[in-house]
Amino acid sequence: MRAERLFRVLGLTDPALVEEAMETRARQVEWKRWAALAACLALAVSLGFGWRVTGGFGGYGSGDSGGDSGSAGVSGDAPADGAPADPGESGGGGSGVEEGITFLSYAGPVLPLTTLEDPGPLAAEREVTWDFSPRANSHGETRQWGAEVTDAYVLRNDTGEDVTVTALYPFPGTFDSLPLVLPRITIEGEKTETALIAGPYSGGFQPTIGAETPDTMNLETLNSWEEYKALLEGGEYLAQALGEYPALDTPVTVYRFSDFAAPLEKYQAATQAVSFRLDESVTQVLTYGFNGCEWDEGFRRYSYFVPDGKRNEPDLKLLVILGEDIGPYTLQGFQDGGCNPGEEIEGVSCTVTRSETTLDAVLDQLCAYYQERYARSRAADQDNAFNVVPFEMYRGAAAELLSQYGVLSGAPMDRYMDGRLDDILAETMSHSRVLYLRFPVTVEAGGSVGLEVRFWKEPSFDYGCSGSENEGLQGYDLTTRLGSSLAFTRQRAALVNTENVEITGQNFGFDLPGGVTAVELDLEQEHYYLEARPIEE
Amino acid sequence: MEDGRIVQLYWDRDQRAIPETEGKYGKLLHSISWNLLHSREDAEECVNDTYLRAWEAIPPARPGAFRIWLGQITRNLSLDRWKSRRAEKRGGGAEALLGELEDCLPDQRGRSVEDLELAELLNVFLRGLSREARAAFLRRYWYGESLAEIAGALGCGEGKVKSSLFRSRRALREYLEKEGIAV
Repeated sequence: MRAERLFRVLGLTDPALVEEAMETRARQVEWKRWAALAACLALAVSLGFGWRVTGGFGGYGSGDSGGDSGSAGVSGDAPADGAPADPGESGGGGSGVEEGITFLSYAGPVLPLTTLEDPGPLAAEREVTWDFSPRANSHGETRQWGAEVTDAYVLRNDTGEDVTVTALYPFPGTFDSLPLVLPRITIEGEKTETALIAGPYSGGFQPTIGAETPDTMNLETLNSWEEYKALLEGGEYLAQALGEYPALDTPVTVYRFSDFAAPLEKYQAATQAVSFRLDESVTQVLTYGFNGCEWDEGFRRYSYFVPDGKRNEPDLKLLVILGEDIGPYTLQGFQDGGCNPGEEIEGVSCTVTRSETTLDAVLDQLCAYYQERYARSRAADQDNAFNVVPFEMYRGAAAELLSQYGVLSGAPMDRYMDGRLDDILAETMSHSRVLYLRFPVTVEAGGSVGLEVRFWKEPSFDYGCSGSENEGLQGYDLTTRLGSSLAFTRQRAALVNTENVEITGQNFGFDLPGGVTAVELDLEQEHYYLEARPIEE
Repeated sequence: MEDGRIVQLYWDRDQRAIPETEGKYGKLLHSISWNLLHSREDAEECVNDTYLRAWEAIPPARPGAFRIWLGQITRNLSLDRWKSRRAEKRGGGAEALLGELEDCLPDQRGRSVEDLELAELLNVFLRGLSREARAAFLRRYWYGESLAEIAGALGCGEGKVKSSLFRSRRALREYLEKEGIAV
């Protein structure tokens, strides 16, 4: 029974690989074929590929790969008067390097407060504190992961007139992560009401690894503070965040599939396929709830696994036709999602309902459906991001993604060229973006106002089992003036409750063994970083 | 509930540990067992036994990758159950899986190694595969998924999965032989 032993020992293989196996999904495997197809539509070769729900309910894992380009950290210029000593001497890390680590997963910097209008005569002081209290994570994890950040400001008005500004506090995040990372703001100790504003997807797109021809299949998130600088400098990103979401009042024809039936007791992956001809120059097809697609010039076949009440797949299935309607369609059942000739089966059926409406109305329906499924997929102790993200914001961001990078764009990304709305809706939740909290602040003539922003900050890190020498390290950083309209007269940084961490790299000048836990920052230096390692019990 | 908290329930001898485990991982464990046994009753019993084993093992164990740790127990229990069937034909998915794994077995001239050393060698081998080939291999021989399920998950035809598995099995055999390992 040597095979049996091999089977049992396979059970002892690296859990990370075993987990990864379940996260590897269709998109990573098949997009390459799609790209080749898109480039060679003239080839009359029938080419099939499959889909799978890529996110939202089971953990989104495809493509958001981090990457290793760019660099975090800045060179350690000579400090200004009152600024910290050379980090190599006082930092406790002693690495001697002048730049921080470029982590595989970059959490983004702590960004400074700004104002919507010109702040006029207001002057600002700032102190950023990282609190490494053990297991301060709201999830109660049994490890030191992340820190509670307090970003405190004093705004001074030395003129003879009151000044009121609209303050904007920017922070990197995703809709999914908002329950964990949403800042709380107090002014003079009193909680203040804020309005949430969401910028668009902050990253870009990168080719499939090993692609024969460059494509835009994979996400490329921001990997360094310099990339945040490029994003936020100039103000276009903020302007888009403050602008209106696109209206999608385009007329569409919708085919809805319902009343599913199939011999599931015999074929667990029984599949319903719908095929039709179309003129691609005048017709675009969007889908929701479908798992597979085959494409040939002038021909499409879309398919879905017949819902069995067990798999976590949507039972709402739509084909949304933009432009001229499709021709007559054919329904055919198959044994599985391969839809291969010879594997046709009887007994697969559904009801198809045709209607005419607008894309906005379809998006309303789908976003509400997604929101409901999202809520149902949360465990009792899991936060529902929709308690924080207003429905209209989510729906608008989905329309924005579809318009900016999807098939409604003049130059759609390969990632979304299939028109699969499942991806748009799920990735709207998981896309990294810069969010803002907006609130009014009044500083009386000759007076000052203290305001505090507190939030949980997850670290930058290298993935476990990545083979990186930086596994186990956590990165934190801040920018002193990026994107801010405020005139700062002083900035400080501090660490508290540091007994569970050791600093391995920095350019702040903290010296934990020497008791230096608060330092002055050089206002001319744009970026500061800190790398720490939890001290295991 | 976070895995750490569930494990803590076991440590606290809090019986809520089992329903919490079942709620979070019952479906996965049942799927693994079903894949090997193709018997609902047997799979049910193996999964229940998994909870019992977890209760007996924690403490002193404090598994890090709790989900995988549970899956390992279910695999082993299911394989034991499969072996104990006295029927003329055992059937189930395990028979096919073990048959396929025969392809990976090196000749017997190599040295014997402990399970953990062999597991480490398998890790090295698996990391050398492409991500897609590794996913297909582990979905098949760790989770026991059918070719159709793997094809559906990876978005390709069963033929592609089959040939990928064939190549990986052959490569594993060559790798073990090159390392001079007997299984």
